[in-house]
Amino acid sequence: MALLEIQGLTKIFGGLTAIDDLSFRVEEGEIVGLIGPNGAGKTTVFNCVSGFYEPTKGRLHFAGHEITGWAPHRICHLSMARTFQIVRTFPDLSVLENVMVGAFSRTGNRGQAKQAARRVLELTGLAAKADMRGGSLTIADKKRLEMARALATKPRLLMLDEVMAGLNPTERQAAVELVRRVRAEGLTILMVEHVMEVIMPISDRIVVLNYGRKIAEGRPETIALDDQVIAAYLGEKYRGSR
Amino acid sequence: MKTTHLTGQTLIALALALALVIFPLIVSSPVTRNLMILVFLYAGLAQAWNIVGGFAGQVSLGNAIFFAVGGYTSTLLLQHVAVSPWLGALAGAALAMILALIVGWPVFRLGGHYFAIATIAIGEIALALMANWEAVGGARGLTISFVRDGNGRPADTWLWFQFNQNKLPYYFIALALMITLAGLTAWLDRNKPGFYFRAIKNDQDAARSLGVNVLRYKLLAFVLSAAFTALLGTFYAQYLLFIDPESMLALRLSVLIALVAILGGVGTVWGPILGSFVLIPLGELSRAHLGGSGRAVDLIIYGALIVLISVFQPAGLMGLGRRLRGR
Repeated sequence: MALLEIQGLTKIFGGLTAIDDLSFRVEEGEIVGLIGPNGAGKTTVFNCVSGFYEPTKGRLHFAGHEITGWAPHRICHLSMARTFQIVRTFPDLSVLENVMVGAFSRTGNRGQAKQAARRVLELTGLAAKADMRGGSLTIADKKRLEMARALATKPRLLMLDEVMAGLNPTERQAAVELVRRVRAEGLTILMVEHVMEVIMPISDRIVVLNYGRKIAEGRPETIALDDQVIAAYLGEKYRGSR
Repeated sequence: MKTTHLTGQTLIALALALALVIFPLIVSSPVTRNLMILVFLYAGLAQAWNIVGGFAGQVSLGNAIFFAVGGYTSTLLLQHVAVSPWLGALAGAALAMILALIVGWPVFRLGGHYFAIATIAIGEIALALMANWEAVGGARGLTISFVRDGNGRPADTWLWFQFNQNKLPYYFIALALMITLAGLTAWLDRNKPGFYFRAIKNDQDAARSLGVNVLRYKLLAFVLSAAFTALLGTFYAQYLLFIDPESMLALRLSVLIALVAILGGVGTVWGPILGSFVLIPLGELSRAHLGGSGRAVDLIIYGALIVLISVFQPAGLMGLGRRLRGR
Protein backbone atom coordinates (compact mmCIF):
# COMPACT_ATOMS: atom_id res chain seq x y z
CA MET A 1 0.00 0.00 0.00
CA ALA A 2 1.26 3.47 -0.86
CA LEU A 3 2.59 5.64 1.98
CA LEU A 4 0.25 8.48 1.02
CA GLU A 5 -2.93 7.96 -0.92
CA ILE A 6 -5.17 10.82 -2.03
CA GLN A 7 -8.55 9.70 -3.36
CA GLY A 8 -10.98 12.03 -5.04
CA LEU A 9 -9.87 15.05 -3.02
CA THR A 10 -12.14 18.05 -3.50
CA LYS A 11 -11.93 21.34 -1.63
CA ILE A 12 -14.49 24.07 -2.16
CA PHE A 13 -14.25 27.50 -0.53
CA GLY A 14 -17.65 29.17 -0.85
CA GLY A 15 -18.02 29.55 -4.59
CA LEU A 16 -14.45 28.57 -5.50
CA THR A 17 -13.48 24.97 -6.22
CA ALA A 18 -9.82 25.02 -5.26
CA ILE A 19 -9.22 21.30 -5.78
CA ASP A 20 -11.38 19.15 -8.02
CA ASP A 21 -11.43 15.37 -7.66
CA LEU A 22 -7.69 14.93 -7.26
CA SER A 23 -6.19 11.48 -6.87
CA PHE A 24 -2.60 10.34 -6.71
CA ARG A 25 -0.25 8.25 -4.63
CA VAL A 26 3.16 8.67 -3.12
CA GLU A 27 5.12 5.44 -2.61
CA GLU A 28 7.61 5.04 0.20
CA GLY A 29 11.08 6.23 -0.75
CA GLU A 30 9.95 8.36 -3.70
CA ILE A 31 10.50 12.02 -4.38
CA VAL A 32 7.31 13.30 -5.97
CA GLY A 33 7.15 16.80 -7.39
CA LEU A 34 3.88 18.74 -7.43
CA ILE A 35 3.93 21.52 -10.00
CA GLY A 36 1.54 23.88 -11.69
CA PRO A 37 0.81 27.57 -12.17
CA ASN A 38 0.08 29.86 -9.24
CA GLY A 39 -3.40 29.32 -7.92
CA ALA A 40 -3.49 25.74 -9.18
CA GLY A 41 -4.16 24.53 -5.66
CA LYS A 42 -0.81 23.03 -4.69
CA THR A 43 -0.59 24.54 -1.22
CA THR A 44 -4.27 23.77 -0.71
CA VAL A 45 -3.43 20.12 -1.33
CA PHE A 46 -0.75 20.34 1.34
CA ASN A 47 -3.14 22.01 3.75
CA CYS A 48 -5.76 19.30 3.21
CA VAL A 49 -3.28 16.45 3.51
CA SER A 50 -1.65 17.83 6.67
CA GLY A 51 -4.95 18.52 8.38
CA PHE A 52 -5.13 22.29 8.23
CA TYR A 53 -8.15 22.21 5.92
CA GLU A 54 -10.97 19.74 6.06
CA PRO A 55 -11.61 18.23 2.62
CA THR A 56 -15.03 18.90 1.16
CA LYS A 57 -14.97 15.49 -0.48
CA GLY A 58 -12.53 12.62 -0.83
CA ARG A 59 -10.40 10.39 1.33
CA LEU A 60 -6.83 10.61 2.55
CA HIS A 61 -4.79 7.62 3.65
CA PHE A 62 -1.39 7.81 5.24
CA ALA A 63 0.82 5.10 6.76
CA GLY A 64 -2.04 2.64 6.73
CA HIS A 65 -4.51 4.97 8.47
CA GLU A 66 -7.37 7.00 7.09
CA ILE A 67 -6.50 10.53 8.13
CA THR A 68 -9.36 12.46 6.52
CA GLY A 69 -10.40 15.17 8.96
CA TRP A 70 -7.61 14.51 11.44
CA ALA A 71 -6.05 17.46 13.29
CA PRO A 72 -2.54 18.53 12.23
CA HIS A 73 -0.83 17.52 15.45
CA ARG A 74 -2.26 14.01 15.22
CA ILE A 75 -1.04 13.64 11.66
CA CYS A 76 2.40 14.82 12.73
CA HIS A 77 2.52 12.07 15.35
CA LEU A 78 1.74 9.61 12.58
CA SER A 79 5.04 10.69 10.97
CA MET A 80 4.09 13.32 8.44
CA ALA A 81 5.83 16.67 8.51
CA ARG A 82 5.52 19.76 6.36
CA THR A 83 7.08 23.12 5.76
CA PHE A 84 5.21 26.30 4.92
CA GLN A 85 5.39 28.37 1.78
CA ILE A 86 5.98 31.53 3.81
CA VAL A 87 8.47 30.53 6.47
CA ARG A 88 7.08 30.27 9.96
CA THR A 89 10.15 30.24 12.15
CA PHE A 90 9.52 30.78 15.84
CA PRO A 91 11.20 34.19 15.95
CA ASP A 92 11.69 34.45 19.72
CA LEU A 93 13.26 31.03 20.08
CA SER A 94 16.85 30.21 19.22
CA VAL A 95 17.64 27.96 16.26
CA LEU A 96 18.28 25.07 18.63
CA GLU A 97 15.05 25.74 20.53
CA ASN A 98 13.09 25.89 17.28
CA VAL A 99 14.28 22.42 16.39
CA MET A 100 13.74 21.17 19.93
CA VAL A 101 10.04 21.95 19.59
CA GLY A 102 10.03 19.46 16.76
CA ALA A 103 12.09 16.96 18.73
CA PHE A 104 9.71 17.16 21.69
CA SER A 105 7.05 15.50 19.56
CA ARG A 106 9.00 12.26 20.02
CA THR A 107 10.14 12.61 23.62
CA GLY A 108 9.22 14.40 26.81
CA ASN A 109 12.80 14.51 28.03
CA ARG A 110 14.68 17.77 27.61
CA GLY A 111 18.09 16.14 27.31
CA GLN A 112 16.96 13.75 24.61
CA ALA A 113 15.19 16.49 22.71
CA LYS A 114 18.31 18.64 22.80
CA GLN A 115 20.49 15.77 21.56
CA ALA A 116 18.11 14.92 18.75
CA ALA A 117 17.89 18.59 17.80
CA ARG A 118 21.68 18.96 17.69
CA ARG A 119 21.90 15.95 15.40
CA VAL A 120 19.41 17.46 13.01
CA LEU A 121 21.27 20.77 13.09
CA GLU A 122 24.43 18.90 12.05
CA LEU A 123 22.59 17.21 9.21
CA THR A 124 21.17 20.47 7.93
CA GLY A 125 24.35 22.50 8.38
CA LEU A 126 22.93 24.86 11.00
CA ALA A 127 25.00 23.69 13.96
CA ALA A 128 27.13 26.84 14.04
CA LYS A 129 24.02 29.00 14.36
CA ALA A 130 22.39 27.00 17.15
CA ASP A 131 22.16 29.89 19.60
CA MET A 132 21.07 32.57 17.17
CA ARG A 133 17.61 33.97 17.55
CA GLY A 134 15.26 32.44 14.98
CA GLY A 135 13.96 35.79 13.86
CA SER A 136 17.42 37.07 12.97
CA LEU A 137 18.30 34.47 10.31
CA THR A 138 18.52 35.05 6.56
CA ILE A 139 15.66 33.73 4.49
CA ALA A 140 17.77 30.84 3.21
CA ASP A 141 18.69 29.81 6.74
CA LYS A 142 15.09 30.20 7.88
CA LYS A 143 14.01 27.78 5.19
CA ARG A 144 16.71 25.37 6.25
CA LEU A 145 15.60 25.77 9.85
CA GLU A 146 12.04 25.01 8.90
CA MET A 147 13.20 21.80 7.26
CA ALA A 148 15.36 20.95 10.26
CA ARG A 149 12.43 21.50 12.59
CA ALA A 150 10.21 19.28 10.50
CA LEU A 151 12.92 16.61 10.34
CA ALA A 152 13.21 16.61 14.13
CA THR A 153 9.71 15.14 14.31
CA LYS A 154 11.17 12.03 12.63
CA PRO A 155 8.72 11.91 9.74
CA ARG A 156 8.35 9.18 7.14
CA LEU A 157 6.85 11.68 4.71
CA LEU A 158 8.22 15.20 4.40
CA MET A 159 6.16 17.73 2.46
CA LEU A 160 8.17 20.71 1.23
CA ASP A 161 6.32 23.80 0.08
CA GLU A 162 8.48 25.86 -2.28
CA VAL A 163 11.70 25.56 -0.32
CA MET A 164 13.64 27.01 -3.25
CA ALA A 165 11.70 30.25 -3.55
CA GLY A 166 13.76 33.32 -2.85
CA LEU A 167 17.09 31.51 -2.83
CA ASN A 168 20.06 32.47 -5.00
CA PRO A 169 21.74 29.74 -7.10
CA THR A 170 24.33 28.90 -4.44
CA GLU A 171 21.71 28.60 -1.73
CA ARG A 172 19.56 26.56 -4.08
CA GLN A 173 22.43 24.14 -4.67
CA ALA A 174 22.80 23.66 -0.93
CA ALA A 175 19.06 23.11 -0.55
CA VAL A 176 19.01 20.46 -3.30
CA GLU A 177 21.93 18.74 -1.60
CA LEU A 178 19.98 18.72 1.62
CA VAL A 179 16.92 17.21 -0.01
CA ARG A 180 19.08 14.48 -1.50
CA ARG A 181 20.67 13.79 1.88
CA VAL A 182 17.29 13.63 3.52
CA ARG A 183 16.04 11.14 0.98
CA ALA A 184 19.19 9.07 1.49
CA GLU A 185 18.18 8.85 5.16
CA GLY A 186 15.10 6.97 4.03
CA LEU A 187 12.46 9.68 3.91
CA THR A 188 9.75 10.05 1.32
CA ILE A 189 9.39 13.54 -0.10
CA LEU A 190 6.51 15.39 -1.70
CA MET A 191 7.65 18.76 -3.02
CA VAL A 192 5.82 21.74 -4.41
CA GLU A 193 8.18 23.73 -6.58
CA HIS A 194 8.25 26.39 -9.27
CA VAL A 195 11.94 26.16 -10.05
CA MET A 196 12.03 23.63 -12.92
CA GLU A 197 15.82 23.29 -12.92
CA VAL A 198 15.53 21.95 -9.41
CA ILE A 199 12.48 19.77 -9.42
CA MET A 200 12.87 18.00 -12.73
CA PRO A 201 16.24 16.39 -12.04
CA ILE A 202 15.46 15.50 -8.46
CA SER A 203 11.97 13.96 -8.73
CA ASP A 204 11.11 10.34 -9.46
CA ARG A 205 7.64 11.40 -10.54
CA ILE A 206 5.81 14.62 -11.24
CA VAL A 207 2.16 15.47 -10.70
CA VAL A 208 0.89 18.53 -12.57
CA LEU A 209 -2.02 20.59 -11.31
CA ASN A 210 -3.98 23.24 -13.17
CA TYR A 211 -7.09 24.98 -11.81
CA GLY A 212 -7.31 22.38 -9.07
CA ARG A 213 -7.28 19.41 -11.44
CA LYS A 214 -4.54 16.92 -12.23
CA ILE A 215 -3.64 17.32 -15.88
CA ALA A 216 -0.63 15.03 -16.02
CA GLU A 217 1.35 12.56 -13.97
CA GLY A 218 4.51 10.67 -14.79
CA ARG A 219 8.25 10.73 -15.01
CA PRO A 220 9.84 14.17 -15.45
CA GLU A 221 11.01 13.43 -19.02
CA THR A 222 7.47 12.52 -20.05
CA ILE A 223 5.93 15.54 -18.34
CA ALA A 224 8.34 17.90 -20.03
CA LEU A 225 7.06 16.73 -23.41
CA ASP A 226 3.37 16.79 -22.51
CA ASP A 227 1.54 19.38 -24.65
CA GLN A 228 -1.09 20.12 -22.05
CA VAL A 229 1.53 20.78 -19.40
CA ILE A 230 3.54 22.98 -21.72
CA ALA A 231 0.47 24.96 -22.71
CA ALA A 232 -0.75 25.37 -19.14
CA TYR A 233 2.50 26.03 -17.37
CA LEU A 234 5.95 25.12 -18.67
CA GLY A 235 5.99 27.08 -21.87
CA GLU A 236 7.78 26.06 -25.06
CA LYS A 237 11.16 27.03 -23.63
CA TYR A 238 11.03 24.12 -21.17
CA ARG A 239 9.81 21.49 -23.62
CA GLY A 240 11.88 18.38 -23.09
CA SER A 241 13.78 19.84 -20.11
CA ARG A 242 15.44 17.60 -17.59
CA MET B 1 28.33 28.90 28.03
CA LYS B 2 24.66 28.38 28.64
CA THR B 3 25.40 26.18 31.66
CA THR B 4 27.50 28.86 33.35
CA HIS B 5 24.81 31.43 32.65
CA LEU B 6 22.25 29.22 34.32
CA THR B 7 24.43 28.60 37.37
CA GLY B 8 25.04 32.34 37.62
CA GLN B 9 21.31 32.95 37.64
CA THR B 10 20.78 30.25 40.23
CA LEU B 11 23.39 31.84 42.47
CA ILE B 12 21.74 35.23 42.18
CA ALA B 13 18.40 33.62 42.95
CA LEU B 14 19.76 31.92 46.04
CA ALA B 15 21.45 35.09 47.23
CA LEU B 16 18.27 37.06 46.75
CA ALA B 17 16.20 34.42 48.53
CA LEU B 18 18.63 34.46 51.43
CA ALA B 19 18.52 38.25 51.61
CA LEU B 20 14.74 38.21 51.68
CA VAL B 21 14.70 35.59 54.42
CA ILE B 22 17.05 37.63 56.57
CA PHE B 23 15.38 40.95 55.74
CA PRO B 24 12.58 40.92 58.35
CA LEU B 25 15.07 40.03 61.06
CA ILE B 26 16.89 43.27 60.29
CA VAL B 27 14.01 45.53 59.36
CA SER B 28 11.19 45.25 61.83
CA SER B 29 8.97 48.12 60.70
CA PRO B 30 5.44 46.75 60.18
CA VAL B 31 4.87 49.18 57.31
CA THR B 32 7.88 47.84 55.44
CA ARG B 33 6.94 44.25 56.17
CA ASN B 34 3.44 44.86 54.87
CA LEU B 35 4.89 46.39 51.74
CA MET B 36 7.13 43.37 51.20
CA ILE B 37 4.18 41.03 51.68
CA LEU B 38 2.28 42.93 49.02
CA VAL B 39 5.33 42.79 46.73
CA PHE B 40 5.53 39.01 47.18
CA LEU B 41 1.78 38.67 46.66
CA TYR B 42 1.75 40.61 43.41
CA ALA B 43 4.93 38.91 42.24
CA GLY B 44 3.15 35.60 42.76
CA LEU B 45 0.02 36.78 40.97
CA ALA B 46 2.10 38.11 38.10
CA GLN B 47 4.10 34.90 37.88
CA ALA B 48 0.90 32.87 37.74
CA TRP B 49 -0.42 35.20 35.03
CA ASN B 50 2.88 34.93 33.19
CA ILE B 51 2.36 31.22 32.57
CA VAL B 52 -0.70 31.77 30.39
CA GLY B 53 -0.17 35.41 29.39
CA GLY B 54 3.58 35.69 29.05
CA PHE B 55 4.71 32.24 27.99
CA ALA B 56 1.70 30.96 26.08
CA GLY B 57 0.79 34.43 24.90
CA GLN B 58 -2.87 34.13 25.85
CA VAL B 59 -3.57 37.47 27.47
CA SER B 60 -5.95 37.02 30.37
CA LEU B 61 -7.55 40.17 31.75
CA GLY B 62 -9.68 38.29 34.20
CA ASN B 63 -7.26 36.45 36.48
CA ALA B 64 -8.81 38.25 39.43
CA ILE B 65 -11.68 35.82 39.17
CA PHE B 66 -9.41 32.98 40.26
CA PHE B 67 -8.07 35.16 43.06
CA ALA B 68 -11.67 35.56 44.23
CA VAL B 69 -12.49 31.88 43.79
CA GLY B 70 -9.57 31.05 46.06
CA GLY B 71 -10.36 33.63 48.72
CA TYR B 72 -14.11 33.09 48.77
CA THR B 73 -13.94 29.29 48.68
CA SER B 74 -11.60 28.99 51.63
CA THR B 75 -13.45 31.67 53.58
CA LEU B 76 -16.90 30.19 53.02
CA LEU B 77 -15.66 26.70 53.87
CA LEU B 78 -14.10 28.13 57.01
CA GLN B 79 -17.22 29.99 58.08
CA HIS B 80 -19.81 27.36 57.24
CA VAL B 81 -18.01 24.05 57.66
CA ALA B 82 -15.10 25.01 59.92
CA VAL B 83 -12.56 23.75 57.42
CA SER B 84 -9.00 24.93 57.94
CA PRO B 85 -8.02 27.53 55.34
CA TRP B 86 -5.11 25.33 54.26
CA LEU B 87 -7.57 22.70 53.01
CA GLY B 88 -9.83 25.48 51.82
CA ALA B 89 -6.95 26.74 49.72
CA LEU B 90 -6.71 23.40 47.95
CA ALA B 91 -10.46 23.36 47.39
CA GLY B 92 -10.24 26.88 46.00
CA ALA B 93 -7.43 25.90 43.67
CA ALA B 94 -9.40 22.89 42.44
CA LEU B 95 -12.47 25.02 41.74
CA ALA B 96 -10.34 27.59 39.96
CA MET B 97 -8.89 24.89 37.73
CA ILE B 98 -12.36 23.65 36.83
CA LEU B 99 -13.47 27.19 36.05
CA ALA B 100 -10.41 27.68 33.84
CA LEU B 101 -11.29 24.53 31.89
CA ILE B 102 -14.92 25.60 31.47
CA VAL B 103 -13.92 29.03 30.22
CA GLY B 104 -10.92 27.94 28.16
CA TRP B 105 -12.45 25.00 26.35
CA PRO B 106 -14.79 27.02 24.10
CA VAL B 107 -12.86 30.30 24.09
CA PHE B 108 -9.40 29.03 23.16
CA ARG B 109 -10.73 27.78 19.86
CA LEU B 110 -11.23 31.41 18.91
CA GLY B 111 -8.35 33.75 18.22
CA GLY B 112 -6.23 35.28 20.98
CA HIS B 113 -8.08 38.59 21.14
CA TYR B 114 -11.36 36.85 21.81
CA PHE B 115 -9.82 35.16 24.77
CA ALA B 116 -8.81 38.50 26.29
CA ILE B 117 -12.31 39.88 25.73
CA ALA B 118 -13.91 36.78 27.21
CA THR B 119 -11.80 37.07 30.35
CA ILE B 120 -12.81 40.70 30.81
CA ALA B 121 -16.45 39.75 30.38
CA ILE B 122 -16.29 36.90 32.85
CA GLY B 123 -14.54 39.05 35.42
CA GLU B 124 -17.21 41.72 35.19
CA ILE B 125 -20.00 39.16 35.35
CA ALA B 126 -18.44 37.63 38.43
CA LEU B 127 -18.10 41.03 40.08
CA ALA B 128 -21.74 41.87 39.48
CA LEU B 129 -22.80 38.42 40.65
CA MET B 130 -20.82 38.44 43.88
CA ALA B 131 -21.75 42.02 44.75
CA ASN B 132 -25.41 41.13 44.61
CA TRP B 133 -25.35 37.66 46.11
CA GLU B 134 -26.23 38.09 49.78
CA ALA B 135 -25.44 34.53 50.75
CA VAL B 136 -21.75 35.12 50.05
CA GLY B 137 -21.67 38.53 51.64
CA GLY B 138 -22.79 40.67 48.73
CA ALA B 139 -21.15 44.05 48.39
CA ARG B 140 -20.34 44.12 52.10
CA GLY B 141 -18.04 41.19 51.76
CA LEU B 142 -17.02 38.59 54.30
CA THR B 143 -15.16 39.12 57.56
CA ILE B 144 -13.16 36.33 59.12
CA SER B 145 -13.43 36.30 62.89
CA PHE B 146 -10.33 36.37 65.02
CA VAL B 147 -9.28 33.14 66.62
CA ARG B 148 -8.77 34.12 70.23
CA ASP B 149 -6.41 32.74 72.84
CA GLY B 150 -7.16 31.92 76.47
CA ASN B 151 -7.20 35.62 77.42
CA GLY B 152 -9.55 36.55 74.62
CA ARG B 153 -6.86 38.24 72.58
CA PRO B 154 -6.50 37.58 68.84
CA ALA B 155 -4.06 34.70 68.61
CA ASP B 156 -1.47 33.22 66.31
CA THR B 157 -2.59 29.90 64.91
CA TRP B 158 -1.11 27.86 62.09
CA LEU B 159 -4.13 25.57 62.00
CA TRP B 160 -6.50 28.42 61.25
CA PHE B 161 -3.95 30.38 59.22
CA GLN B 162 -4.06 33.54 61.32
CA PHE B 163 -1.17 35.42 62.85
CA ASN B 164 -2.45 38.39 64.79
CA GLN B 165 0.26 39.04 67.34
CA ASN B 166 3.38 38.23 65.39
CA LYS B 167 2.69 38.74 61.71
CA LEU B 168 6.02 37.35 60.59
CA PRO B 169 4.65 34.00 59.33
CA TYR B 170 2.62 35.88 56.71
CA TYR B 171 5.85 37.29 55.35
CA PHE B 172 7.50 33.87 55.06
CA ILE B 173 4.42 32.20 53.60
CA ALA B 174 4.13 34.86 50.92
CA LEU B 175 7.86 34.59 50.24
CA ALA B 176 7.58 30.81 50.00
CA LEU B 177 4.73 31.11 47.49
CA MET B 178 6.72 33.54 45.38
CA ILE B 179 9.77 31.26 45.41
CA THR B 180 7.65 28.20 44.57
CA LEU B 181 6.15 29.97 41.58
CA ALA B 182 9.60 31.10 40.49
CA GLY B 183 10.78 27.51 40.66
CA LEU B 184 7.77 26.29 38.68
CA THR B 185 8.27 28.96 36.04
CA ALA B 186 11.96 28.11 35.74
CA TRP B 187 11.08 24.43 35.33
CA LEU B 188 8.48 25.19 32.67
CA ASP B 189 10.92 27.46 30.88
CA ARG B 190 13.43 24.65 30.45
CA ASN B 191 11.11 21.74 29.72
CA LYS B 192 8.58 20.56 27.16
CA PRO B 193 5.52 22.46 28.41
CA GLY B 194 7.42 25.76 28.34
CA PHE B 195 8.76 25.11 24.86
CA TYR B 196 5.27 24.28 23.66
CA PHE B 197 3.81 27.41 25.34
CA ARG B 198 6.36 29.61 23.61
CA ALA B 199 5.82 27.85 20.28
CA ILE B 200 2.10 28.53 20.58
CA LYS B 201 2.77 32.16 21.36
CA ASN B 202 5.11 32.56 18.38
CA ASP B 203 3.07 30.70 15.76
CA GLN B 204 0.16 28.44 16.57
CA ASP B 205 -0.15 26.78 13.18
CA ALA B 206 3.56 26.05 12.92
CA ALA B 207 3.30 24.53 16.38
CA ARG B 208 0.41 22.34 15.25
CA SER B 209 2.40 21.10 12.29
CA LEU B 210 5.11 19.99 14.74
CA GLY B 211 2.75 17.86 16.80
CA VAL B 212 1.72 20.37 19.46
CA ASN B 213 -1.84 19.88 20.69
CA VAL B 214 -2.46 23.61 20.92
CA LEU B 215 -5.80 23.47 22.73
CA ARG B 216 -4.49 21.09 25.37
CA TYR B 217 -1.44 23.20 26.14
CA LYS B 218 -3.38 26.45 26.25
CA LEU B 219 -5.70 24.82 28.76
CA LEU B 220 -2.74 23.55 30.76
CA ALA B 221 -1.27 27.04 30.97
CA PHE B 222 -4.60 28.51 31.98
CA VAL B 223 -5.28 25.84 34.59
CA LEU B 224 -1.86 26.26 36.21
CA SER B 225 -2.30 30.01 36.25
CA ALA B 226 -5.74 29.68 37.82
CA ALA B 227 -4.66 27.24 40.53
CA PHE B 228 -1.83 29.36 41.85
CA THR B 229 -3.81 32.58 41.62
CA ALA B 230 -6.45 30.91 43.76
CA LEU B 231 -3.89 29.87 46.39
CA LEU B 232 -2.78 33.49 46.60
CA GLY B 233 -6.42 34.46 47.01
CA THR B 234 -6.69 32.32 50.11
CA PHE B 235 -3.49 33.84 51.44
CA TYR B 236 -4.90 37.33 50.91
CA ALA B 237 -8.15 36.44 52.67
CA GLN B 238 -6.31 35.11 55.69
CA TYR B 239 -3.91 38.07 55.72
CA LEU B 240 -6.56 40.80 55.76
CA LEU B 241 -9.28 38.70 57.38
CA PHE B 242 -11.69 40.53 55.10
CA ILE B 243 -12.68 40.06 51.46
CA ASP B 244 -15.18 41.79 49.24
CA PRO B 245 -15.97 41.80 45.52
CA GLU B 246 -14.38 45.19 44.96
CA SER B 247 -10.98 44.20 46.32
CA MET B 248 -10.91 40.76 44.70
CA LEU B 249 -12.76 41.02 41.42
CA ALA B 250 -12.32 44.51 40.05
CA LEU B 251 -11.02 44.73 36.50
CA ARG B 252 -8.24 47.02 37.71
CA LEU B 253 -6.86 44.14 39.75
CA SER B 254 -6.72 41.90 36.68
CA VAL B 255 -5.08 44.70 34.74
CA LEU B 256 -2.58 45.34 37.53
CA ILE B 257 -1.60 41.68 37.65
CA ALA B 258 -0.94 41.69 33.92
CA LEU B 259 0.84 45.02 34.13
CA VAL B 260 3.29 43.82 36.78
CA ALA B 261 4.31 40.94 34.50
CA ILE B 262 4.41 43.12 31.40
CA LEU B 263 6.47 45.82 33.09
CA GLY B 264 8.98 43.29 34.31
CA GLY B 265 9.12 41.35 31.05
CA VAL B 266 6.60 38.80 29.80
CA GLY B 267 7.69 35.27 29.23
CA THR B 268 10.73 35.56 31.44
CA VAL B 269 11.34 33.93 34.79
CA TRP B 270 12.48 37.09 36.58
CA GLY B 271 10.19 39.59 34.88
CA PRO B 272 7.13 39.35 37.14
CA ILE B 273 9.30 39.48 40.27
CA LEU B 274 11.19 42.51 39.00
CA GLY B 275 7.94 44.15 37.94
CA SER B 276 6.45 43.70 41.37
CA PHE B 277 9.48 45.04 43.20
CA VAL B 278 9.27 48.18 41.07
CA LEU B 279 5.56 48.75 40.63
CA ILE B 280 4.10 47.90 44.01
CA PRO B 281 6.26 50.22 46.12
CA LEU B 282 5.64 52.89 43.46
CA GLY B 283 1.91 52.37 43.83
CA GLU B 284 2.03 52.46 47.60
CA LEU B 285 4.23 55.55 47.64
CA SER B 286 1.99 57.46 45.28
CA ARG B 287 -0.97 56.49 47.41
CA ALA B 288 0.77 57.74 50.54
CA HIS B 289 2.18 61.00 49.20
CA LEU B 290 -0.45 62.09 46.73
CA GLY B 291 -3.26 62.03 49.21
CA GLY B 292 -6.53 60.22 49.59
CA SER B 293 -7.38 60.38 45.93
CA GLY B 294 -4.44 58.04 45.32
CA ARG B 295 -6.98 55.68 43.82
CA ALA B 296 -7.24 57.70 40.64
CA VAL B 297 -3.59 58.72 40.52
CA ASP B 298 -2.28 55.17 40.57
CA LEU B 299 -4.56 54.35 37.65
CA ILE B 300 -3.06 57.27 35.76
CA ILE B 301 0.39 55.92 36.49
CA TYR B 302 -0.59 52.42 35.36
CA GLY B 303 -2.10 53.77 32.16
CA ALA B 304 0.96 55.85 31.41
CA LEU B 305 3.19 52.85 32.05
CA ILE B 306 1.19 50.67 29.66
CA VAL B 307 1.61 53.25 26.92
CA LEU B 308 5.33 53.76 27.60
CA ILE B 309 6.08 50.05 27.70
CA SER B 310 4.12 49.29 24.55
CA VAL B 311 5.78 52.07 22.61
CA PHE B 312 9.35 52.02 23.86
CA GLN B 313 10.14 48.76 25.53
CA PRO B 314 7.69 45.93 24.96
CA ALA B 315 10.16 43.49 26.45
CA GLY B 316 9.85 45.26 29.78
CA LEU B 317 12.61 45.75 32.33
CA MET B 318 14.20 42.42 31.47
CA GLY B 319 14.46 43.58 27.86
CA LEU B 320 16.03 46.81 29.03
CA GLY B 321 18.58 44.86 31.00
CA ARG B 322 19.38 42.77 27.95
CA ARG B 323 19.78 45.88 25.83
CA LEU B 324 22.13 47.48 28.36
CA ARG B 325 24.21 44.34 28.50
CA GLY B 326 24.56 44.59 24.73
CA ARG B 327 22.87 41.30 23.81
